[in-house]
Amino acid sequence: MPAALDALGDLVRRAGDGDAVAGVPARFVGTPATTEEASAVLRAAAADDLAVVVRGAGTKQDWGAPPRRLDLVLDTRRLAGVVEHAAGDLIVVVRAGTPIAELQGKLAPAGQQLALDAALPGATVGGTVAVSTSGPRRMLYGTARDLLIGVTVVRPDGVVARAGGKVVKNVAGYDLGKLITGSYGTLGLITECVFRLHPLPAADAVVTRRVADPAEAGRLVAAVLAAQVVPSAIEVDAPPGGGIEVAVLVEGVPAGVRDRVALLCRLLGGEAAQQRPDWWGTYPWRAGETGLKVTAALSRVPGLLAAARDAGERHGAPPTVRGSAGSGVLYAGLPGDAAPEAVAGIVDHLRGAAGQAGGHAVVLTAPAAVRERVDMWGPVEGLALMRRIKEQFDADGRFARGRFVGGI
Amino acid sequence: MTDIDALAARLRTDLAADQVVSDRQELRTYECDGLAHYKVIPALVVFPRSAEDCARTVRACVAAGVPFVARGSGTGLSGGALPHAEGVLIVTSQMRRIVQVAPEDERAVVEPGVINLQVTRAASPSGYYYAPDPSSQQICSIGGNVAENSGGAHCLKYGFTTNHVTGAQIVAPDGELVRLGGRAPDAPGYDLLGAFVGSEGTLGIATEVTVRLVRLPETVRTLLAAFPGVDEAGAATSAIIGAGVVPAAVEMMDALAIEAAEAAVHCGYPEGAGAVLIVELDGPAAEVAAQFAQVETFCADNGAFEIRIAADDAERALFWKGRKSAFAAVGRISPDYIVQDGVIPRTALPEVLHRIGEISRGQGVRVANVFHAGDGNLHPLVLFDDGVEGEAGRAEEVSAAILALCIEYGGSITGEHGVGMDKAKYMPRMFTDDDLDTMQLVRCAFDPAGLANPGKIFPTPRLCGEVPGRHRGTHPAQQAGLAEVF
Amino acid sequence: MTTQVPAGGGVDATKGTEPTSARQDVLGAVARTAGEPAFDEYHPPRLDLVSDCVHCGFCLTTCPTYVLWGEEMDSPRGRIYLMKEGLDGEPMTDSMVQHFDRCLGCMACVTACPSGVQYDRLIEDTRQQVERRHARSARDRALRAAIFRLFPYPRRLRLLRGPLSAYQASGLQALVARTGLLPRLLPTMATLESLAPRLTRVPRPPERVPARGRRRAVVGMLTGCVQSAFFPDVNSATVRILTAEGCDVLIPSKQGCCGALSVHNGRAAEAQRFARKLIDTFEGTAIDYFVVNAAGCGSSLKEYDVLLRDDPAYAERAAAFTAKVRDLSEVLVELGPVAERRPLPVTVAYHDACHLGHAQGVRAQPRRLLRGIPGLEVREIADPELCCGSAGIWNVLNPEPAAQLGERKARSVEATGAQLLVTANPGCLMQIAASLNRVGGTIALAHTAQVLDASIRGLPVEQLLSRSSRSASSRPPKR
Repeated sequence: MPAALDALGDLVRRAGDGDAVAGVPARFVGTPATTEEASAVLRAAAADDLAVVVRGAGTKQDWGAPPRRLDLVLDTRRLAGVVEHAAGDLIVVVRAGTPIAELQGKLAPAGQQLALDAALPGATVGGTVAVSTSGPRRMLYGTARDLLIGVTVVRPDGVVARAGGKVVKNVAGYDLGKLITGSYGTLGLITECVFRLHPLPAADAVVTRRVADPAEAGRLVAAVLAAQVVPSAIEVDAPPGGGIEVAVLVEGVPAGVRDRVALLCRLLGGEAAQQRPDWWGTYPWRAGETGLKVTAALSRVPGLLAAARDAGERHGAPPTVRGSAGSGVLYAGLPGDAAPEAVAGIVDHLRGAAGQAGGHAVVLTAPAAVRERVDMWGPVEGLALMRRIKEQFDADGRFARGRFVGGI
Repeated sequence: MTDIDALAARLRTDLAADQVVSDRQELRTYECDGLAHYKVIPALVVFPRSAEDCARTVRACVAAGVPFVARGSGTGLSGGALPHAEGVLIVTSQMRRIVQVAPEDERAVVEPGVINLQVTRAASPSGYYYAPDPSSQQICSIGGNVAENSGGAHCLKYGFTTNHVTGAQIVAPDGELVRLGGRAPDAPGYDLLGAFVGSEGTLGIATEVTVRLVRLPETVRTLLAAFPGVDEAGAATSAIIGAGVVPAAVEMMDALAIEAAEAAVHCGYPEGAGAVLIVELDGPAAEVAAQFAQVETFCADNGAFEIRIAADDAERALFWKGRKSAFAAVGRISPDYIVQDGVIPRTALPEVLHRIGEISRGQGVRVANVFHAGDGNLHPLVLFDDGVEGEAGRAEEVSAAILALCIEYGGSITGEHGVGMDKAKYMPRMFTDDDLDTMQLVRCAFDPAGLANPGKIFPTPRLCGEVPGRHRGTHPAQQAGLAEVF
Repeated sequence: MTTQVPAGGGVDATKGTEPTSARQDVLGAVARTAGEPAFDEYHPPRLDLVSDCVHCGFCLTTCPTYVLWGEEMDSPRGRIYLMKEGLDGEPMTDSMVQHFDRCLGCMACVTACPSGVQYDRLIEDTRQQVERRHARSARDRALRAAIFRLFPYPRRLRLLRGPLSAYQASGLQALVARTGLLPRLLPTMATLESLAPRLTRVPRPPERVPARGRRRAVVGMLTGCVQSAFFPDVNSATVRILTAEGCDVLIPSKQGCCGALSVHNGRAAEAQRFARKLIDTFEGTAIDYFVVNAAGCGSSLKEYDVLLRDDPAYAERAAAFTAKVRDLSEVLVELGPVAERRPLPVTVAYHDACHLGHAQGVRAQPRRLLRGIPGLEVREIADPELCCGSAGIWNVLNPEPAAQLGERKARSVEATGAQLLVTANPGCLMQIAASLNRVGGTIALAHTAQVLDASIRGLPVEQLLSRSSRSASSRPPKR
């Protein structure tokens, strides 16, 4: 074990086979329980010039590209727990290794929640913020980007830095939280997050309606958007070959939910239910398959659904498309046995359609044979500036090297 | 010919002669923004009329090694648009086209000089509006809002500028035009847009902004409640928030602020009120009805002696008129004043207000309080008379003491107005050296030459050539070749 | 307004700060532009009023020149700043004067200002200083001289519209042509053509018209210059309304100009002469009110006490006179209507003339009177606080920006879809009509008095709608 790392005693151990990241084996695993310990581990890693990847629950290891170098896995499992829950101020300070579900469990007794849908079971706070995953309710509540009001980060050089604070209203200094959110662990380790919370709604309901084609789905979605019902989510599910299901979630006080549900049923010609559909809040792919995130301007979502259908037909591999028609963020999944050529063709097609629609298509995860043939990230604006940011934070390029856009 | 003359000549060619101002008297009209405490005459003022104009201007500045500062309407309250004495002031007030309003996408695309309220006025015929509503919204520019991440009374429920900007085209400090984000959310890569919003002009100049529009609510109901004092009003606020109600806005004014507003705009707030609360709820009718009943009850239960419910838009506008003109209105009850901006956890409000009262009495300086009670953002208005010996100094001390309180209670030194010039010296009290150093890494990435609005936000600039981090254990003197370790 | 900075510095040394209230200056040792200070001791803009400005900027978006050009120097906040610079000792440069001249004097900023800055007082004092102390270009001087030899004299104005021979014989034609005034007046004249036929003889109003029914008040009435020369029917309508509402109306025939254009353009001595003469004219008449039907005149008359404050012979009389001045709509609402209103089914866009809305704060009364007419619907015009661009003689001195402002207003008026534009100022009427012509719109136009008169007399609404911005010049002769 390299000198500096060795000096940390039982904060670090040797890695095993199970510690590989996206198939890339690791040599060591660090398991700090506090920000100070994490700082010590990363300082040592810097001194020993080790390449680092952060791991929470490991639910998104196969997202992004595999790391080009890996020595140390920084495991956040022990960096867990709620530091402070100020219910009266609707904020919570929580350590990054805490599973989202556990956090929600701690907040619920006070009638509060972190209004962030976690798609993958077991996902930690840190991982969710680092990749900026989101679910159906992003339409009303925003994503990690909007809910994070403070963050503690350990830089690749081991220096601890805080940005934001514990109050929602805060414009002192740069919003580093935004930069860190969705940075795939390439700028440093998140150890603590401060979130703004929302009250748990007293009542909720879902109204669903199945339609034949994207155009009709689009009409219904537009009608809901215009209706002033303030939905928490408008989701669509378009499995291959079948119709499209539109589902609208409203939350609030019982009388209000009843009223709005009645309106929605009339508008959609649909049915109300307490239960979400089975597909709600899940990605349309399984581990080892190809998953894309495809975005568009709101009015162009039906066009994107149609493009996905076309692409599937043309390349003989129909995708499952699912996501937030209310935000313009959809996910597309292709089965693991789809021919890599076909997948590549579909990715290109979707990327073109998304670009025309004001959005992007990013391949979040794919089997190795597909990765060889596709550009995972697609065109990225401002890449030069992004490289300069990376250089400032991690001049030696040791953190999550190669995982992110532009080979960062 | 001086360097500035040469730059002026170049700019008059690159742009047009009537877009460059070098007349001294005219330059002086730009020497301060909304914070008239600080004045610096710029060397030149330039009015770009397009993104290309703006980029050419910055490139010319870069070539000449001359710093530049951007300015919108010049209504900022932290000196963010305070010019640099040897620099160019780039004024965006002539870039004021609303490029597109697209309600079907819930977006609008505007140039930075467009006035905040104009976005809402352009969108409202389609049933949409632009949610961030600073009190100066009838004059402040979108570009300025982006620079400061402006809030407003309704940000309690709806968020700030950064939650309502999905894309921007900027001129980076090297003069290149870069697109960040777009019409759809979650552009791949780092959230440079998120870093840019609120960066107070130190990371570049926005030349086009894509904003998010929000559907006009079905119902808006506004209530004005008069309380014997701020304690009772604060308790009512706590009860409301604690019950899980998320009002669109909860604003509080104390007796002195009410007096000023009354003198200015005759809003007719209830007489004898020690504090008033303005609570506004919006959303679907049935939701609002239920929550409104709760709010009324909480106010009454906590000592409200008069509750008025706005019967129509006109009355609602009147409730708000007093609050929105409070800052400028204070000029009628005091020759001079300082507008302060600080944040504390909402639950600490009663205690902090008491402490402010103590500080105020201790120094013999009156403080009128206006604040966003829902999120703990205070705006103490520290009143004084510059003509009386020593009063200005005491007012400054009170203002500084209030900020120290905010930090003591775990809040922030600025909720909305920004750090700018005015609060740079307080940054080290809220953040450690490492925190500030890390933020400046971002600045170095965008602006290694240090030409974009230098001297703002950070009290001590970071040299961008520095090797990041001290992990190698090398003493700076050693690195400079001045010393050896034995 | 404070010039303090926080004690203890601590702010970074990038030469971006003011350590004291001394200004940092790129020019180095030279403290200010060379030349003697802008203002002398005779009523300079007051420092205490200048200091009321807290630099909040709320005035900017209501200022027509800021709306047009987006430059601080042509905004109220910037103009106040230039006044401050002048008081600090900066000289009165051409540039400074140009920015003061470009001010329309519309007072929209006074309405918008939350701090109560008396910009109207400031600009008036400043303009008077400019007129006395600044050497204008020869061309500018000639143009202004021509304007002021024409506009304050109703008889000369009538000559513009009367038989050609009389016009030529008067020497006015030569004056107008030589000074470059003609091309600037042409748009106005063209508009007038479409609004009212040439008159060969203007009927002179009687000196005293008794009230109909019970007499409730004795009022003096201003016949005005542009109003009496170009829109004498507005004056007739005014007299009829007042008498119908129980007023004896005194209209001395030898009354002259009220001096509004003069005082609004810094020609203080000239304005004072006109004011004294007008006060003398109504001396001894025991009037309860002095009624005005032109907004610009009314606002000026309400400030006679300030205009003649330094004249011991007139100061008191001016104050007494001022106290009686009312706009027509004010006095009618104050007295309360007694004459029956007959229906006029028409949609009306009411335009607040700046000198009535901003300067006098009279907005509610005209609307109340209009709404008191059965069948009449009042529609609000978008951006009502923004001037139409007439602003006295501003449109003659600044034709291009005036045209741009006029077009803005014209489009806003058109957008109301109303049949009739109603306003209380002849200048606004002509400006909006001309602008509507230019943008190809069409709408009927009337003075508030004409609408009320039509209602009281039970005239058919078609008669009100006969005068439009683009109608043919042939029309039934007026009664």
